[in-house]
Amino acid sequence: MNRILVVDDEANIRLLYAEELTDEGYEVATAATTAEAVEKLQQQHFDLTVLDIKLRNESGIELLQKIVKERHDMPVILCSAFSCYKDDFSAWLADSYVVKSGDLTELKEEIKRVLAKKAQRKAAGM
Amino acid sequence: MDDDTTQWECCWDRDLLSLDDCPNLSEGDADLLCSRERRFLEKCCDCDRFKRDLSRFRESGHPLAPIFSTLHNDYRRQRAQIQALGSFLDTKTLEVRFLHELGSVLQSSVDLEEVLSVALTAITSGKGFGMNRAFLLLADKERHFLRGHLAIGPRSAEEAGRTWHEVDTSDLDLQSLSRSFRQNKLSSERDKFQDILGKLVISMDNIHHIVIQTLEEKKPLLVQHAFQDPRVAPELAQLLGVDTFLILPLIARNRRVGAILADNFITRQPITDDDLRSIETFTFPVAFAIERASLYERLQVEVAKLQAANRRLQDQQELLVKMEKMALVGRITSSIAHSIRNPLMIIGGFARSILKSTADDDPKRGFIESIVAEAHQMEEVLEEILTYSDALYPVRDFWDVNQLVETSLRDIQDKVMTQNYSCRFRPGEGLPSAYVDYKQLSYCLRNILLGTIGSRENGLLEISTRQIDDMVEILIDDHSRRLAEEELEALLTPFAETHEMGSGLNLALCRSMLEKLDIPLLVVAPPDDGVRYSIKLPTHKEEQS
Repeated sequence: MNRILVVDDEANIRLLYAEELTDEGYEVATAATTAEAVEKLQQQHFDLTVLDIKLRNESGIELLQKIVKERHDMPVILCSAFSCYKDDFSAWLADSYVVKSGDLTELKEEIKRVLAKKAQRKAAGM
Repeated sequence: MDDDTTQWECCWDRDLLSLDDCPNLSEGDADLLCSRERRFLEKCCDCDRFKRDLSRFRESGHPLAPIFSTLHNDYRRQRAQIQALGSFLDTKTLEVRFLHELGSVLQSSVDLEEVLSVALTAITSGKGFGMNRAFLLLADKERHFLRGHLAIGPRSAEEAGRTWHEVDTSDLDLQSLSRSFRQNKLSSERDKFQDILGKLVISMDNIHHIVIQTLEEKKPLLVQHAFQDPRVAPELAQLLGVDTFLILPLIARNRRVGAILADNFITRQPITDDDLRSIETFTFPVAFAIERASLYERLQVEVAKLQAANRRLQDQQELLVKMEKMALVGRITSSIAHSIRNPLMIIGGFARSILKSTADDDPKRGFIESIVAEAHQMEEVLEEILTYSDALYPVRDFWDVNQLVETSLRDIQDKVMTQNYSCRFRPGEGLPSAYVDYKQLSYCLRNILLGTIGSRENGLLEISTRQIDDMVEILIDDHSRRLAEEELEALLTPFAETHEMGSGLNLALCRSMLEKLDIPLLVVAPPDDGVRYSIKLPTHKEEQS
């Protein structure tokens, strides 16, 4: 079972993602801050991270850069309320981005796609 | 000499004369008839009768006779000298007047074509130096070659007869002549001599060429046996078709401006050393006037460029201000979006979640479906507003690359100074604007520069821009860094393990961003010659996909 870490400062969003993604058959853990996320990433194995760009007083992009440097084999999907990823080109480091919506179909499809791609890379020994 | 017994053949001893008494007197000499002294000095001294009288006197053995003869001869010699000097002075006065006129015209003009017209007219005009033809060679901008620029003169005897007749009957002064030449004949003369002018190309490094030697010696040269003279290239003699010609070097402030070749192609009249000396004084003001006019012309070009650059700068400043405003609008909308979208997502998301577990016949299912639909509609409205605000960003436009590089360098100045790094920027001249996304390109540039500097200190980065065909290229040379081939590959591979991971990440990202814009980022590391980054930018819209 693939393990997903959801990082978002909104408790209700974390809850919504956790419920919906668990229904999809993933094992989901959540983090409200970058520190909590880093701690969980160091202690546990995750196959994918779903990351909000704008955390309360922190930048999701900084966490993204940290993840890419230290765990660059783990894909990251950025979630954003607005296409502000365009303003920070570092956001291009992510494997995918999704604009937040009450309809989680797009997010779920992206998760499937990114994980399949990761599996392919692994199979190819990359 | 006077002796009552002697009958003199000449009338020198008579006080009063009639016109019939002396063959040397004419109607206009009436006042000499009663002035014996003046008549003697002006007429008798050259009169054959008087000379015969003097000869007879000498034969008479009178002791004063030889002295008279000596005085007579000396008087005639000195008078001839005075006349020659007078004639010389007259010539020089005319020359000075002509040079004064020429100088006035040359000094008052900064128009190169006018100066050249005056110079060549002066050489060939009968009122000037009266040469048949003149060819002007000018040094090119880089001062690598002398090139035939303009010529004046007839190509045949018929044309010469016609032209000289026109000039003789027009009675124009030098300025009017040159103005007439400029208005009516300048381009036709250039076309007429194009076959010769096109072949008059001399490398300024060719120190064996007689024209270049003359420029080196800074003195005019009279070439007299061109076809036999070993100093004269046979092609030059054949091209001019004359044995004798003048080479006039044009030097201004030790700068080799050009040269004039002048000859008497039609009349074949010999050119004398006096001609050479007269013309020598003329070359200095001409050279200065040509140099001044050329500089003025170049200045005008630079002023025009500067004005165009200033206009571009103003446009871009306005665009930047607009961008800043739009960015502000973007930030505000982004913030609003975040505040609205999150609750909207939570409402819509949970409603969908509840809907999934609600039975089809549940009476509340309709309410939940309404919540889902309304939330979805609000999301769509929000998306529309945000898309509109996003569209206000100027994305791609024509930008001055030099200005973009300068701004990027200013942005990273603190880091550069902290690490005691030197960045030297050599902006290319006259570059066309590049069609790029300003924000993305400056982001990439900053990151490439910062990535290159990394954590190193005391290094040197050279940044330059240049035009290659219809592209503008930004080059970044890091001479203080050496990379092996495998390190170079790793540098551009995303997330590859390099000893400078930071750079690798930045460069890979920049390359990916630029590639999306069809802009290649190339990195080469010639052995022992640092690392070079090259970014080639399009200058036309259609070159981007």
